Amino acid sequence: MVGLSEGEKHFIRGGIAQDLRSDGRKRLQFRSISVETGVIPQANGSARVRLGATDVIASIKAELGKPSILRPDKGKVSIFVDCSPTAAPMFEGRGGEELSNDLSVALQRCLLGGTSGAGAGIDLSSLIIVDGKVCWDLYIDGLVISSDGNLLDALAAAIKVALSNTGIPKVSVLGASSDEQPDVDVSDEEFLQFDTSGVPVIVTLTKVGRHYIVDATSEEESQMSSAISVSVNRRGQICGLTKRGGAGLDPSVVLDMISVANSVSQQLITVLDSEIAAAEASEE
Amino acid sequence: MEYVNPLTGFRIDGRRPNELRQIKGELGVVANADGSALFEMGNTRVIVAVYGPREVQNKSQQNNNQALVRCEYSMANFSTGDRTRRQKGDRRSTEISLVIRQTMEASILTHLMPRSQIDIFVQVLQADGGTRSACINAATLALADAGIPMRDIVTSCTAGYLCSTPLLDLNYVEDSAGGPDVTVGILSKMDKVTLLQMDAKLPMDIFENVMQLAIEGCKAIANYIREVLLENTKQLESRRGG
Repeated sequence: MVGLSEGEKHFIRGGIAQDLRSDGRKRLQFRSISVETGVIPQANGSARVRLGATDVIASIKAELGKPSILRPDKGKVSIFVDCSPTAAPMFEGRGGEELSNDLSVALQRCLLGGTSGAGAGIDLSSLIIVDGKVCWDLYIDGLVISSDGNLLDALAAAIKVALSNTGIPKVSVLGASSDEQPDVDVSDEEFLQFDTSGVPVIVTLTKVGRHYIVDATSEEESQMSSAISVSVNRRGQICGLTKRGGAGLDPSVVLDMISVANSVSQQLITVLDSEIAAAEASEE
Repeated sequence: MEYVNPLTGFRIDGRRPNELRQIKGELGVVANADGSALFEMGNTRVIVAVYGPREVQNKSQQNNNQALVRCEYSMANFSTGDRTRRQKGDRRSTEISLVIRQTMEASILTHLMPRSQIDIFVQVLQADGGTRSACINAATLALADAGIPMRDIVTSCTAGYLCSTPLLDLNYVEDSAGGPDVTVGILSKMDKVTLLQMDAKLPMDIFENVMQLAIEGCKAIANYIREVLLENTKQLESRRGG
């Protein structure tokens, strides 16, 4: 991104203070979201989400695996994000690694719950096939193709849409030996749709000056003092929280930002659900 | 396995031996880049973004007479059939980056942009055989989208030889059959070969046939790319109100 002059920085901050951002949006308004499902045919589920100039792809692959000893009744999910060098020249080689790790960890925190697996946005018990022996391993891969700010929200939205597009093959268990791995027959024909009603979305509130904005572009992000990313599900419950940025925040400000994020997220969930329904309808 | 049906002459995906897969090219897919393109050859999908000409980041590599061309090739974790976590900088990626860079450098008029660098970033979204060719075709489109002056349109295509038949544009299944795989890159109007790679073995006379077939494929792709660029220019002109 080209550096900003003092005048431009002043313009961005002033616009935000007056509730009129550089692209004409209000402080709490999202850019237009466009959603495409099934972009990666060889994955179990996939989606591409465009938020202005930010373009991300999420793909979900399910493979058979063994559940962990600590949680024998739950499947496993791992989330990895990769920032492609096409998004920005500084992502070439290992330059994008730090940002990719940041995003992966933030998504894991918001979608997979605590270390005990409690409170996960994705229901892991639906991935179990045979307790303690066979389960589904879900690999969620995010790829950032073009970056114009607000990557976390776009990735979370892409993962939610991709999960709604995911079909887990039906498995029938053959052979009931107690010690060895049971044989499983994976169906090529029948698929179970993943239940995404509990999957949360993430809303990032960026504080610039004394006001917060939703869905910042990369220019606006360069002016931020701090940002809070809140993950909220359909029932209005908070599933995860991340604060970024060096500036300290007053606790009352933090609580206010969380409640603002909560209300904005309900709108985002409605928009995403209608996009998912439209995509499913156009598929049939 | 029957890669070419002896009765009908069709390949496993229903194509004839000298038929290309369905190709599609689109310009301007990455908003932030100076030039970008998406190219599909059958199920192989590749995005290329070009940043440049811009200031050289590593002054020690700066060349006072011509532009520095750099290329990085990366595959998405979900690009192949089985999902694998790829390490950046593994040998295959480095080799393909080098191949693409050398092929495009032969065509870019680097002496017009001294002391600058041009970055070509290749991202493979789906790999189904012929990835290297799709990358070169996409890079040509992206460089044109970025307005970087080139000698000619560079296109690339693969060809192989299975069941005693030269086959054009191998997909992944045909490529892994163990037969030879010839990749050709040409400067279309000047009719010069800039890239030629082959693995496995072929008798000399059959090699000439297979290479000719690949060159025909390259020329067909060049015609398509020319159409895409023409269409894009018309749209730009109409937006300018011309």
